[in-house]
Amino acid sequence: MSSESSDGALARWTQGVIHDDEQRKRLYRALFYIVTVFFLVTTLFPFYWLLVLALTPSRLILGGEWDLPLLRPQGQANWAAFGDVFQQIPFHLYVFNSFVLAIVTTIIVLFIASLAGYVFGRLEFPGRGALMLGILAISYFPPAAFLVPLFDAFTGNAVAVPFLGVELFQAPRLVNTPTAMVLPFSALFLPLAIFILTTFYSQIPDGLEDAARVEGTTRLGALFRVIIPLSAPGVATAAVLTFIAVYNEYFFSSIMALDNQAAQWSPLVGGILSYQSQYTTDFHLMAAASIIGVLPVVILVVVAQERIVSGLTAGALKE
Amino acid sequence: MAQVKLEHITKRYEDVTAVDDINLDLQDGEFICLVGPSGCGKSTTMEMVAGLTKPSEGTVHIGDRDVTTLPPKDRGVAMVFQNIALFPHMDVYDNISFGLQLRDYDKEETDRRVEKASDIVQLEGMLDRMPDEMSGGQRQRVAIARAIVREPDVFLMDEPLANLDAKLRVHMRTELQRLHKELDTTIIYVTHDQAEAMTMADRIAVLDAGELQQIDPPLTCYNEPSNLFVAGFIGSPSMNFMSGSITESGLETEYFDLDFDPATVDSVATGQNVTMGIRPEDVYPVETAGALPEPTKRIGATTDVLEPMGDEIFVYLLLGDGEASMDMEGRGAGQLLMSVDPDSDIRGEETIEVVLDRSKIHLFDSSSGEAILHGMPSRQVAGERTGRETGETGGDV
Repeated sequence: MSSESSDGALARWTQGVIHDDEQRKRLYRALFYIVTVFFLVTTLFPFYWLLVLALTPSRLILGGEWDLPLLRPQGQANWAAFGDVFQQIPFHLYVFNSFVLAIVTTIIVLFIASLAGYVFGRLEFPGRGALMLGILAISYFPPAAFLVPLFDAFTGNAVAVPFLGVELFQAPRLVNTPTAMVLPFSALFLPLAIFILTTFYSQIPDGLEDAARVEGTTRLGALFRVIIPLSAPGVATAAVLTFIAVYNEYFFSSIMALDNQAAQWSPLVGGILSYQSQYTTDFHLMAAASIIGVLPVVILVVVAQERIVSGLTAGALKE
Repeated sequence: MAQVKLEHITKRYEDVTAVDDINLDLQDGEFICLVGPSGCGKSTTMEMVAGLTKPSEGTVHIGDRDVTTLPPKDRGVAMVFQNIALFPHMDVYDNISFGLQLRDYDKEETDRRVEKASDIVQLEGMLDRMPDEMSGGQRQRVAIARAIVREPDVFLMDEPLANLDAKLRVHMRTELQRLHKELDTTIIYVTHDQAEAMTMADRIAVLDAGELQQIDPPLTCYNEPSNLFVAGFIGSPSMNFMSGSITESGLETEYFDLDFDPATVDSVATGQNVTMGIRPEDVYPVETAGALPEPTKRIGATTDVLEPMGDEIFVYLLLGDGEASMDMEGRGAGQLLMSVDPDSDIRGEETIEVVLDRSKIHLFDSSSGEAILHGMPSRQVAGERTGRETGETGGDV
């Protein structure tokens, strides 16, 4: 701003950045690289650590004789760990459990959230704002608050009238089944999905829905044939978020699966934790299992990202 | 192909009445235009025919069915939208055949119909394109093909040409007329462009503030508007209005008097405040008025602004002392718009004399706006020829 110049190197450099385009661009580029490298290191370093851990033989880990900076676990890389993971426990079954739970939950959440999103996003009715607020408020409840009553319900206790003790009926025993997990998961992850889909569905022009309805669909038909396909990025976002959240879930499933066994629908995290026994902990197997468990999610995100980017709604409508 | 009948259709939103007790009776194969300014209820009326909006009161009949409570898909209507509304995620073939696929037509029949429809709107060879690869006119053709492929009973068109550029609009206008001739289907066409309505429609329904003002063939609306609103809305540039009052000798305005015998017209009383209307093309400079059977007295005026259009010149005349006060619509009280021949030698800032064609003078009641008479006979010939009187109401069908 001012033309008076000071003599200090820092002051000169600052003036240069302010007045010289070239210098300013250099600074911005440098800052960009610094921030990018910072994020890359903080996100990728744990994976690198996991990989080193997985490849280091157990006895070296326990002896503390392993080095991190290079991919060079003392002696030879123990690639066998990735096979041992499946030998010790049926880890693939735990992965399968998490996969099934995540997919079923995602389907249920997408279906219900689509209907709700249509109603909140495209219809006008009294109390819409209050209802939406209520749904969002529920999503802020800590999940632990629901745990005890749900556990009580899912263990097959008789349902009785409060205070009177008159038994009404015997609830089905749902623990150790996917139902006991899918139900709370769906309820917990619905609000976010509803919120995302409401935003997307409300942006589809009314004309398209009207056109579909005149052409011969019902309102529901228009939702599934026109509105949802055109909201593909939003649907993909909601699906990926729900899937990843359920895939990584441990809190509810560790309790609804009474024992940490694959046959009782214990999830991925339960599988990883079962390499830890009372007397030993196979850190290299836990690391290898973690890597294996992450792979499906990585693939999913890469695939879904292409969908999200592919921008289906580009310019076919004049408004 | 079917008749469409709207009976006492009313649509109320919380605090507004968008459509107020409209009755329409459309013949089979008729091309009808709903015109009116923005917010007059014409689109709402059409949506009620389509089934996209439920009327608060009244019934809709298509053919001999009462469709008031039926969803759009069961009404046998097809619609072309203002924003074109092609499904952006489908190619042209899928867009056109969308309705057929929903109704489980087999592949062969679908192909045959899509081909025929795309032939009619000249879309050959574009069936595998996506909507965003097409121009506005091509998209509009796809939208029309999508509408005709199902062979509906009624076509609804909601300002289908509003988003096209002027040249394309004129072109599509003739194509739509050709299409109507070819298909002979009932068409309801909503537009705010009175030129579109005039050129295409069998009948025009003029709406204002949710109420039907007049429904008649275009030229009847033009020549015998039932009230001030229709008179001002139909015709471009619009009619000149001049307020005045009825005296025993005829009509008296601030700038000139016209003699006629109020006794020959039923609904006129001495002292009544009236508005006189005359279209620009019915105002003549004295020199060219020779052929008029019944010119009025000469009226002195000063020419103000000239607008040469090529085929005619619009001349803004200032009456009286030449000081026009502009009203809300930009037309001054002492101002008269005249349309003259392009090779006329009229210049600006000139004092001239003009006459009006008596047979084209309209009188409206100032308070109710209803037309009183079309064509004002002079006192001398009143015995032989009375003005074409209008009925009491302008809005009945």
